[in-house]
Amino acid sequence: MPPKSILKKTPAAASTQTAVAVAANAPPPPRAVNQRHLNTAVHHARIYEQRKQVEADILDAVFELLDFPTSPDADPTRPSPSDAHRFRQAIVPFQPSDYDGLIEERNIADKCGYTLCPRPKGKAPSTARKQFVETSKGVQIVDRKRLEMWCSDDCARRALFVKVQLNEEPAWLRQGDYGTEIDLMVKNTEEHHEALPLRLKKTAAPAPKDTEEEDAAAAWAARDDALADLAIERGETPGRLSKVNKDLITDKIKERVVKFPPTPPSLPPQSSGQSHMAIEGHVPKSARDAEQAKDSDDEDDKQDWDKALPG
Amino acid sequence: MAESDHKARQEMLDMWRIYRTTKEMCRDRGYNVLPEECSISFDDFARKFGTESGAIARGQMNFSAIPSEDMVRKYTPPATPKVPNPEAAIGTLWVEFNADENIGMKNLREFIHHLLNGSYYSGIMIVVKPLSGMAMRGIRGASALNGGNGPKGGIEVFLEQDLKINITKHELVPTHLLLSTEEKAQLLKRYRLKETQLPRIQVTDPVAKYYGLRRGQVVKIIRKSETAGRYASYRWAI
Ligand SMILES: [Zn+2]
Repeated sequence: MPPKSILKKTPAAASTQTAVAVAANAPPPPRAVNQRHLNTAVHHARIYEQRKQVEADILDAVFELLDFPTSPDADPTRPSPSDAHRFRQAIVPFQPSDYDGLIEERNIADKCGYTLCPRPKGKAPSTARKQFVETSKGVQIVDRKRLEMWCSDDCARRALFVKVQLNEEPAWLRQGDYGTEIDLMVKNTEEHHEALPLRLKKTAAPAPKDTEEEDAAAAWAARDDALADLAIERGETPGRLSKVNKDLITDKIKERVVKFPPTPPSLPPQSSGQSHMAIEGHVPKSARDAEQAKDSDDEDDKQDWDKALPG
Repeated sequence: MAESDHKARQEMLDMWRIYRTTKEMCRDRGYNVLPEECSISFDDFARKFGTESGAIARGQMNFSAIPSEDMVRKYTPPATPKVPNPEAAIGTLWVEFNADENIGMKNLREFIHHLLNGSYYSGIMIVVKPLSGMAMRGIRGASALNGGNGPKGGIEVFLEQDLKINITKHELVPTHLLLSTEEKAQLLKRYRLKETQLPRIQVTDPVAKYYGLRRGQVVKIIRKSETAGRYASYRWAI
């Protein structure tokens, strides 16, 4: 009697055992394609692609910011609007660790770690690993490396001010746009307000590299169109996937398409009768319904300003 | 004085060994390398790459290597109806010995520019100390740099320390032979395998690094066995 298997016998395994014995070397039979698995694969492939792109963007940004500021006599406290703008824009996909990397790279190139400072990095009085430094709080012991990162404490402060604003989440996992705008500590604020847009412009999506990517993009576009049509048929707002379709939240990695400029929220013009119902400026739906029934016009909901925002 | 002389001579000896290993590595990968380059004597080496004071001039050791016909064949994907004349995924190699102890993105950028200006397909950097973390990231995705126009064959980095001896000359390291794309296809067909069913070798494995294996390639490993004579196995690089 052959040794008895300790593994649980499933009916499927039992029935295919003979077949397996015949063609042990054959590649496993193709599994039926499961749409959900396929979606998951596509989803992960897209994240992987985005990750590769973000990585390359960050490295190219470091290459560029190594040479900043563009003028050798720039003043880090009053940067030129174009340098400041480019710095703020290039650094958006950075995580704090990437930013530390940029500082290290500038130091290797003998530059002050703060991107908008043209001066060479500081030089410690000796080559010892720990250094005594005179500060306003008396003599302190500091790592030599820290001492040689910046040309001055002022630059250290300005650089740190940038770092604390950086998003800890990798840019390829961030929702919607890359992230928020980064502010700088500058003395010539007025110049920058004139020159800089309040929000950084979204960089244009890179052109598809080959036909295969184009095909994929077309397929995704077609899918989005189909979903939009379906949504209209169902009486939903286009761009918002219904809950049924939501098992893979693909809309989170969709590029933002701005159809018209967002407008700030405003109260409906005739809202005097509702003001007592408002909670921090928002009028609950029940109160609005009551009001609308009174008005008896079926125009669009004026409160629906958020459809201009990314879905 | 005698102390520094001794140090300079030791460094010269180390660099001589490193140079020979590097040449052997290029030869073993399939580049055209003359036998006398791999077996250069210490005296010849010191004369060729030493300064008057007896120090090593690493910059003089840089060289380029052209792939042999056989190597080009191995690296050429099979023709398909869509691509009747496929391009070989290999080309001229640039090898640089860098004396800098602090290598970061700035050096990497210069290296990439040199590769692109000289139309090199790939590059090898041989360095004294490990690169900065950011520069290592740059190396890993080198072909995507420069707005997607980096060196096609990428960049590899070796520490001088790791090339002082040629690990493949160790008696326990069996012969590794890279299969061409066609040979790989035949192997999989003959054994009715998918590549994912093969045992694996990591591209970061020292021997894989020596041969410059890329993800997806298959190597044939030939061992001498006391009981079975010669014994071949295959590994899929990941
Ligand atoms: Zn500074």
